[in-house]
Amino acid sequence: MTRTTLADKIVVTLAVLLLPFLYIEFWGNSSQGEVVQIRSANSETITLPLDQDKQLKIAGALGISTIEIKDRQVRFIDSPCKGKQCIMTGWLNKDGQLAACLPNGVTVQIIGRDHRFDAVNF
Amino acid sequence: MTSFRYTEPMKLSIQTTREDQRIAWLAALAITIHIAESALPSPIPGVKPGLANIITIICLMQYGWRCAAWVATLRVLVGSILIGTFLSPSFALSMSGAIASIIVLGLASRLPIEFSAIGYSLLAAMAHMTAQFFVAYKLFIPHQGLFHLLPILITVAVVFGIGSGIIANHILKKIREQQIES
Repeated sequence: MTRTTLADKIVVTLAVLLLPFLYIEFWGNSSQGEVVQIRSANSETITLPLDQDKQLKIAGALGISTIEIKDRQVRFIDSPCKGKQCIMTGWLNKDGQLAACLPNGVTVQIIGRDHRFDAVNF
Repeated sequence: MTSFRYTEPMKLSIQTTREDQRIAWLAALAITIHIAESALPSPIPGVKPGLANIITIICLMQYGWRCAAWVATLRVLVGSILIGTFLSPSFALSMSGAIASIIVLGLASRLPIEFSAIGYSLLAAMAHMTAQFFVAYKLFIPHQGLFHLLPILITVAVVFGIGSGIIANHILKKIREQQIES
């Protein structure tokens, strides 16, 4: 058969219909993170669920960083650093996003269900 | 001192069938396309026209599934040895893609409905991309972020799958015209 058949048309239609679904599924409401991990140079790593609103005070190298978890998002409210980069990062709500206050040695990262490592290289 | 006596070199002859030779020819053609294509720059790993797929589809439609399976696996094996990626991650990806597309083609060709090269090629391209993607996700980049690439990769698979199918259709037409003439 070298002419397009009905089966071809069905397969092509299904494949083309699949595409918008994929874009909506993976690009639209991009996968929300599940837990937030807070690391500090001075204390143990803390892992908290994203769906419980909370304010935390984390002791770092310079002083206390304040972190807020609200509506499945997390952000730095205050940090004793000069640049305030961590605060300007704003809300984090997607899997893998990270905010860091390097002077204070505190990082906040949202982590998905299946997090092991970023990539493997050979 | 012992002297070396000249002995006839042992003649090694392997009985090859017509089918073996045909597979070798077609595999050589597919390998050439595969290597030429590997020189093309690619914006995202895994985005490749997959023109060697055309040969697999022609094999399937002209000589049957066995020939297609041989040609596809030989292409990946020999292609990777020549490019130097044998047993590397990209080899694992190519091989898993080739195996998946061969399985899908086998199933599709046993269906009671009839496909042209376009249908086969599209199915093969989608199977190839999906298998590659999941092997990449499971073995090499187990990060949720990889799924952001999936829509692009499948779009590319659909476009090049249909494109290769159209080319394969034209080639098959020419082959069959020649067969009728001779």
